Amino acid sequence: MIGIFKSMATTMKHALDGQTFTVEYPEETPDVSPRFRGVHKFSQERCIWCRQCENVCPNDTIQIVTDEQRNGEQYNLHIGQCIYCRLCEEVCPVDAILLTQNFEFTGDTKDDLAYNKEQLKNVPWYKDIDPLASREPDRGGWIGEGEGEVDYQ
Amino acid sequence: MSLERPRERQLDIGETVDGDVDYDALAELLGDRVVDREEHVNAPAFVVRPDEIQDALFALRDEAGFDYLSCVTAQEYDDRYESIYHLKKYDDPTQELGVVVPTAKDAPISQTAEPVYRTADWHEREAYDLVGINYEGHPDLRRILLPETWQGHPLGQDYNAEKPQVVPFRKHANPLQPDQRGEGDNSDTMFLNIGPHHPATHGVLHVKAVLDGEQIADVEPDIGYLHRCEEQMCQQGTYRHQIMPYPDRWDYVSAGILNEWAYARAAEDLANIEVPEYAQVIRTMSAELCRICSHMLALGTFALDVFGDFTAVFQYAFRDREVVQDILEDLTGQRLMFNYLRLGGVAWDLPEPREEFFEKSRDFLDGLPKKLKEYHNLITSNEIFQARCVNTGILPPEVAKQYGATGPVARGSGVDIDLRRDDPYGYYDELDWDVVTEDGCDNYGRVLVRMQEVEESAKIIEQCLDLLEEWPEDDRTIQSNVPRTLKPEPDTEIYRGVEAAKGELGIYIRADGTDKPARFKIRSPCFCNLHTLREMTQGEYIPDLIASLGSLDIVLGEVDR
Amino acid sequence: MTQTLPETIGELLGWGTELSFGQDVVASLIGAALVGTLMLTMTAIAGPWAKRKITAAFTDRIAVNRVGPFGLLIIVADAVRLLSKELIVPEGVDRPAWDLAPIVLAGSALLGFAVIPMGSGIHLADPEVGLVYVFAIASVASVGLVMAGYASNNKYSMLGGLRAVAQNLAYEIPLVLIAASVVLFAGSLQMSEIVAAQQGTLLAVGGLSIPAWYAFVNPFAFVLFLVANLMEVGRNPFDIPEAPTEIVAGYQTEYSSVYFVLIYLGEFLHIFLGAAIITTVFLGGPAGPVLPGILWFLIKIWAIFLFTQWARSALPRLRIDQLIEVGWKGMLVLAFANLILTAVIVGVIA
Repeated sequence: MIGIFKSMATTMKHALDGQTFTVEYPEETPDVSPRFRGVHKFSQERCIWCRQCENVCPNDTIQIVTDEQRNGEQYNLHIGQCIYCRLCEEVCPVDAILLTQNFEFTGDTKDDLAYNKEQLKNVPWYKDIDPLASREPDRGGWIGEGEGEVDYQ
Repeated sequence: MSLERPRERQLDIGETVDGDVDYDALAELLGDRVVDREEHVNAPAFVVRPDEIQDALFALRDEAGFDYLSCVTAQEYDDRYESIYHLKKYDDPTQELGVVVPTAKDAPISQTAEPVYRTADWHEREAYDLVGINYEGHPDLRRILLPETWQGHPLGQDYNAEKPQVVPFRKHANPLQPDQRGEGDNSDTMFLNIGPHHPATHGVLHVKAVLDGEQIADVEPDIGYLHRCEEQMCQQGTYRHQIMPYPDRWDYVSAGILNEWAYARAAEDLANIEVPEYAQVIRTMSAELCRICSHMLALGTFALDVFGDFTAVFQYAFRDREVVQDILEDLTGQRLMFNYLRLGGVAWDLPEPREEFFEKSRDFLDGLPKKLKEYHNLITSNEIFQARCVNTGILPPEVAKQYGATGPVARGSGVDIDLRRDDPYGYYDELDWDVVTEDGCDNYGRVLVRMQEVEESAKIIEQCLDLLEEWPEDDRTIQSNVPRTLKPEPDTEIYRGVEAAKGELGIYIRADGTDKPARFKIRSPCFCNLHTLREMTQGEYIPDLIASLGSLDIVLGEVDR
Repeated sequence: MTQTLPETIGELLGWGTELSFGQDVVASLIGAALVGTLMLTMTAIAGPWAKRKITAAFTDRIAVNRVGPFGLLIIVADAVRLLSKELIVPEGVDRPAWDLAPIVLAGSALLGFAVIPMGSGIHLADPEVGLVYVFAIASVASVGLVMAGYASNNKYSMLGGLRAVAQNLAYEIPLVLIAASVVLFAGSLQMSEIVAAQQGTLLAVGGLSIPAWYAFVNPFAFVLFLVANLMEVGRNPFDIPEAPTEIVAGYQTEYSSVYFVLIYLGEFLHIFLGAAIITTVFLGGPAGPVLPGILWFLIKIWAIFLFTQWARSALPRLRIDQLIEVGWKGMLVLAFANLILTAVIVGVIA
């Protein structure tokens, strides 16, 4: 019997302390960590069309179209198919693609979630956090490592 | 020190005094049943003729003490089929042995190992299903992951993946037809489909239950509803980058880093990659955070199964898990699909400012004892809970071993196995912690094991935090120098396991000289643990079946892969 | 003897105190409609709104607060949502029984309120066998459960229906026996008599006087009755006939739309009926200082509703065989012991 009373006392304590741990979402947005991986932001000015992100992507989310001179024409990213592994950002030598903290995106159809380079460019920062700042310290750990020359293919 | 286990038993045949395996002695034991010997990276393997495999395994089990069939890997070569039985010992999992059984290409028939190890039942069904090897004498050789109507064996070489697998509806069994099972029309039993969509099956599991009144006459878990070809996906990814995101998705309930570590360990040993010590400490810490997360969820959902509603315990467990997830999010950037480990290290150092991270983690650890006390008040000390859990879902240790159970399920049955201690990796052997076992062998024992393991994990994290805090700043290497394109030597094979939240998560990789694995096999702990369900629930009531299922803590993503 | 509600209504309509048969029927129907509306309002508040709020408080959440003030309009929203759903009739159901079961469930609970004295003159009927009537009518619900379980042509429903019968058999007898011990005290089965018998003061310590409610006179019987009542209405930890994690939703698995609403309504009415019985038999009915009787009555039944939700938040569900064992080997024995003890005490005092 004591155990039963202990159980009931525990829940009653929670009921009476008035604290809640859920939040009212749209009004109160959660804080996300600086490292959080959300929707991609793409910068055509930076991109050198090296296609490393396309190659490293584990599930063919990124599709790049170039002309014969290897000038970039299209950069499509299906954010509904993406698994947010951040490998594209890791391999990018010029920070042209970056995962923002923005997790709030919707689409009525799957097609709505296939972003082209304009849409990717217009992805807003989440709460104005520029994720690059938080990632800077470790980027050296990736670029230029490995045996021999770094190959940008 | 807790990490040393008492060694009082007699030496098995082929065991040396200092705990190694004398493979020549084993070869002698097997005599001319051994055709050939292969060297795998983890342990040597004997090649045995397909019609003598049972004899060989009986000898190895009964005389050489290999009582743990960790995994069965099947694969097809250009000239042969092959089943590999990865044997270990519960007393010392570092003593490993592979038994390779080649079978002819045109008639892939091999003797079954089911009479020797019960766990081989499901493993061989999977091998039959995916690769197409026929196991002679197997009691129930049906497809296990794919539907019965599936055409072909997807991992076989001549499989045509383009061919559509469309089966007319009339060829499926009619779900509405009366289904009695048992002794025909005058049977007193009732057949009941529990699942695939049932509130308490923890995913899409289908349990075919034969009931005698409210009591269970027989159950048979039917799995495969969540089969996502994880092994094949890994076979199509490069070692260096593309495989690592996927382990997060096997056991997807927050055990991500533990799973990643399984792949990292296997691949690093395969390609001989060193991991900096600093990265090992971070790995150990983050893995234990994941373990806490996973055990919290296990506790919450088990309570849900027993309490019966989404009530307080579930919510409190989720609240506490949330804190851990916040810490993991700060560290890895995601809450579930971490993709944090890299071959040769981790992706990121601790987040700056480090003090803030330490403070947040320590706050959590400081608050944990109080929360655990609350759980004990709310759950384990409750008499009704005890009435429901003590002496239900009994799994005797011998049965657990036969079924290859590991993790909290085995430890709740008093089987003292924990790869973190027995086959140390990471930084575990430098730290002070204990392996928790309970002798209850019942649902209650398994719950207690999980709750105590949370405490032990907290101890490990605390020590890791101390280490990380004092680590000299110029020695914080998070990744070793790993080639961007990793191509291990052709025909190297490895089987390595780590202690994931649910038990031994093993990975078998065979390299063929390219940058992608030729065969990638996942030994899922949930798969083996779920196999014990039938033994646990014979003669018990439906509520006990649900509770036992909950106490196994299976994640269907890992069972079906 | 106090005036019943139909008599009051008759007086208000200017028919005098002596009503003819026709007048009596009309006045009774009006009264019944009033009481029924009151109780249905209670359940409407309890089901979609209060239960969620209470559960949320126990689990540290916020819960319904978007629709209307305090989220109260969720009641309307939920009603519209549930009623606008398609009524799915599964293949092979036993039609008359399947259709009748929800009505029996909700109806039996509503009928029980006829004899409950709610204070402020709200008391529909006061037969001499009121207590027996209320137990009898509440038990009719079991028939509804079996009908629902058997007629649904679903194995989970079947198991739920069978569990419901087993459970009710095990608890009806102790429940009635404990109530009988109160009858020994009060010397009557009439509800108004039982309430009247609790009017006195048991103890007066300083300025505080503890009323002679049977909960204080015989706390042992009160606790037993509270537990047995929880089992009778099938709430956690005794919600075995439903047992969502085990047999999906038990007898109500196949019901949707209006029928589901009726069953849901019936369940909450049963909780309130159980609470009303406890209030009448053990908590002095509508008695209480300052506030009018009806308010005290409502406060008491809501307190008991709160208790059922509290138990739900903290207690694991028993297994059916354990419940039967507790019922026949534990509660029944204790109930008999209580009855004999009471009989002896009453005999000695009287």
